[in-house]
Amino acid sequence: MSGQYGQKVICSQKGSSILLEGNVAEWTDVVAAGKMAAEIKGIKGVINKIECASVKKKRKAGGELTENVLKDRRVDVLIIGGGIIGCSIARELSKWDLDICLVEKEPDLAMHASSRNDGMIHPGLVPSPGSMKAKYNAKGNGMYETLSRELDFEYKRVGSLLLFDNRWLAPAYPILASRAEKNGVPSTEFLTGKKLKRFVNSKDAPSLNKSLESKWAVYIPSTGIVSPYKTTIAVCENAILNGTRLFLNTEVLSFERENDTIISCKTTKGDIHAKIIINCAGTASDEVAELAGDRFFTIHPRKGTILMIDRKRGHLTNTVLSMPNIIGKKDTKGGGIVPTVEGNLLVGPDAEEQPYKEDYSTSMCHIDAIVNQHFRLLEGIGKKDIITYFAGTRASTYLEDFIVEWSDTISNLFHVAGIQSPGLASAPAIAEDVSEKVVSKLKRMKDVREKVNWQATRKGIPRLAQMDPEQRSVYIIKRPDYGEIVCRCEEISKGEIRDALHSPIPVKTVDGVKRRVRAGMGRCQGGFCKPLVVEIIAEELQMDPLDITKKGRDSYILMRDVAVVENEKADSREEGDGNVV
Amino acid sequence: MSYECDVLVIGAGPAGLAAAVAAYDTGARVEIIEREDRPGGILKQCIHDGFGVIRFGEKLSGPEYAARYIDMVEKRHIRIRTKTFVTHMEKKDGFFFTQLVSRTGIEMIKSRSVILAAGCRERTGRQIFIQGSRPAGILTAGTAQYFVNMKGYLPVKRCVILGSGDIGLIMARRLTLEGASVEGVYEIKPEPSGLPRNIAQCLEDFEIPLHLSHTVMRVNGENRVESVEVAQVDAAFQPINGTERVIPCDGLVLSVGLIPENELAESIGIEIDRSTNGPVVDQSLMTSVDGFFSCGNALHVNDLVDYVSESAEIAGRNAALKSGVKRELSRIKKSENFAYLVPQLVDMKRIEEKMIFYFRPGKSAGKGTLRIFGDGREIMKQVFKRLNPAEMERIEIEKDTLEHLNGEIRFDLTTEG
Repeated sequence: MSGQYGQKVICSQKGSSILLEGNVAEWTDVVAAGKMAAEIKGIKGVINKIECASVKKKRKAGGELTENVLKDRRVDVLIIGGGIIGCSIARELSKWDLDICLVEKEPDLAMHASSRNDGMIHPGLVPSPGSMKAKYNAKGNGMYETLSRELDFEYKRVGSLLLFDNRWLAPAYPILASRAEKNGVPSTEFLTGKKLKRFVNSKDAPSLNKSLESKWAVYIPSTGIVSPYKTTIAVCENAILNGTRLFLNTEVLSFERENDTIISCKTTKGDIHAKIIINCAGTASDEVAELAGDRFFTIHPRKGTILMIDRKRGHLTNTVLSMPNIIGKKDTKGGGIVPTVEGNLLVGPDAEEQPYKEDYSTSMCHIDAIVNQHFRLLEGIGKKDIITYFAGTRASTYLEDFIVEWSDTISNLFHVAGIQSPGLASAPAIAEDVSEKVVSKLKRMKDVREKVNWQATRKGIPRLAQMDPEQRSVYIIKRPDYGEIVCRCEEISKGEIRDALHSPIPVKTVDGVKRRVRAGMGRCQGGFCKPLVVEIIAEELQMDPLDITKKGRDSYILMRDVAVVENEKADSREEGDGNVV
Repeated sequence: MSYECDVLVIGAGPAGLAAAVAAYDTGARVEIIEREDRPGGILKQCIHDGFGVIRFGEKLSGPEYAARYIDMVEKRHIRIRTKTFVTHMEKKDGFFFTQLVSRTGIEMIKSRSVILAAGCRERTGRQIFIQGSRPAGILTAGTAQYFVNMKGYLPVKRCVILGSGDIGLIMARRLTLEGASVEGVYEIKPEPSGLPRNIAQCLEDFEIPLHLSHTVMRVNGENRVESVEVAQVDAAFQPINGTERVIPCDGLVLSVGLIPENELAESIGIEIDRSTNGPVVDQSLMTSVDGFFSCGNALHVNDLVDYVSESAEIAGRNAALKSGVKRELSRIKKSENFAYLVPQLVDMKRIEEKMIFYFRPGKSAGKGTLRIFGDGREIMKQVFKRLNPAEMERIEIEKDTLEHLNGEIRFDLTTEG
């Protein structure tokens, strides 16, 4: 390493991990050094503390006690992070008679990676056999069908088509088939030119670009799709129903240790004492590990941008399509075209290393690159069909694998970190495994029994636009608000919005409503319905419209009169703590 | 539940109301469906004046203009079903079956004709590829207008307006009057998109700067807009390096184009003209599906509501007429320098009245000469002192001129300067 970076980077061993320190000019150098260190065989992780002059240190949000809500609460399990992983673990643990507490620093669940992905339930073909990703992926995929039925979220097994544009790549199939078998992926099928043509000409097949039809493809029937944030919310609502307590706007500040045990956790909502702490903090999981004094890995955020295509073009494919770049970089298989449960198409994501974990800004060059890479797969899709685009960051470690294990140095800390793709697909399997390990440890501390009245099911908000007319009529007659359309693009009724506002996890933001019922997610992007949603929130929750935000904090939709703002301190506009106790 | 009428009008804005009145006066049983809680459409929030100069010979505010038509509808006892939404439509055995959802449940309405008068929606910032973050404070001019005029709230206090469309210009003035500061109006094109009178009355009179050949590249801010990045663009609308500027502000108001709402029309297979984003129609404003008519801003985006009403009356009258005759449509040919021309088709067997054409030129010109040829012979010539894509032009061809033609009509526009 010293060869390339001279005296600038110092490499040392810390436990079983590699520690990198020093100073370089560019962020790409920081990442390159980390990747180089990751090549060393047999290490547990890479801790990359190299500083970079061109990276501006961002002011960290939160940082101090805002309100003492937790009041030295004693619980069995503290879960840090309200993404799909934290919520899935909470639900699994809620099957046991335990005191479980989930803290999330944001005003809502799934605010980061769990909402900023394409909702694909990967089949498990890509992970290297033997990796943690391979261990959980196919298994998790197989659990979604039951889960979606129990928790009333939409799940579709759409299958995926991996297309190859090179004739000489055809022999790669046996390698893929053997990998599929090792990873437990059921029934993949190799489609040669003729078979592919037959597949493409079958009913409901994708409108593949004509020039691609004579090429080769692997069809994987087990690939699925969900709405990732609706899924996270569904899972957590069920955990809450089974006794889990959720604290939003609650950020972990520090841990207090006694020997090798964490005895207390300080958060922005007060202190909490837990027998077991589970770190599911996504891109912040290395920081949480650091706070606990057990950092053995570093998250280097990798941004991906995704384009959303109008539902009008949804019929072009109801199968996931991708043309993997096999010879290219291994960081990402290059994204593809993914149908959504609501009928849109998502295109992307790409991959870009960036220093900021929560910088979700987009750039034209990435959008153009995604358009150029993927639009050619389908006949009849154009730039005009893009209704919006968004970015997310993957919580990647330098070893590029999941970390699902007890801390080596702290007796009551469990890390679930580095959960990037296929994290969503793996979540149910990870949760089952973590829960088993945590419960067996707790059994050594106390008497742990299964909850007698555990409830496997949760009812979601009815989706009226998807009902047949008779069923829809029944709902409307019972509640006329279901017949009043507020979001015209997605056909969302006032009744559904009211349901969202009274759902188990408190929602008072416009985005919170949007994520639960899709109001504002259509082609007009809320142009018509945003003011109406603001009115309904105000009316339903007895709020002043001026206090309503887009996504919490100071993201106010409306401006206070100049004179009033000067007289009133901004902090009198309480955000509310969003506790569910 | 299901019921029947002759003409179903979808939308109770200026187009739908005028279409319903015309259809009723031609003898049809008419029903109007409106998704909002009151008729009037977008005029409800257009509290400035200037509406109706051509139609009524006076300057009315939007709500006043709408009220004239609401009166006409009420006098005729035409039913307007508000808070009612069309979810599905199909055509069977020559009738349209339209599924409605409202607070009373689901209903089916059977009609001989349908007039789609659903207006248009605003193009969003994402559709013109503005980059950066997604904080609160980015909104379309129409949404800003709704908040200010209908609800009495200010959605921005210090803003940049992107796009010089008419609503953007009107909102620049409106926000200024309400105490907000408008840092400037930025227009990517080298000329304004809005009407010259709005440039004068909304910007110049309030000393709001207009930056032509400029656009907004990025939005900054995590929770609320903190600034926007603007840049000058070249002839290909590409940003010129080194001209980027960051403007601190708390909001970005967008007036970057209107898109006729035709998802319902598309769902029953109606041909859409990619230059108007509205249906392809004949002189009766019937679309490619027999019995389905289009008018107002759903047909093409108009500058003046007076023309919206005019097209609606044509559609209304024709929708009310029973017709068993098969159409013999021929496509009207036009030279390349039109942005668009409506109608696009002509049914030579049914020239029953004068034909009205609406068009926009592709680009500005000092002088334009329009020659119309029928069967290869010049049948009409009109000279325009100046042509501007921001201003729609209207011309009429008399019935006598058209009657003896075999089919081919060609529009030829030549421009100078």
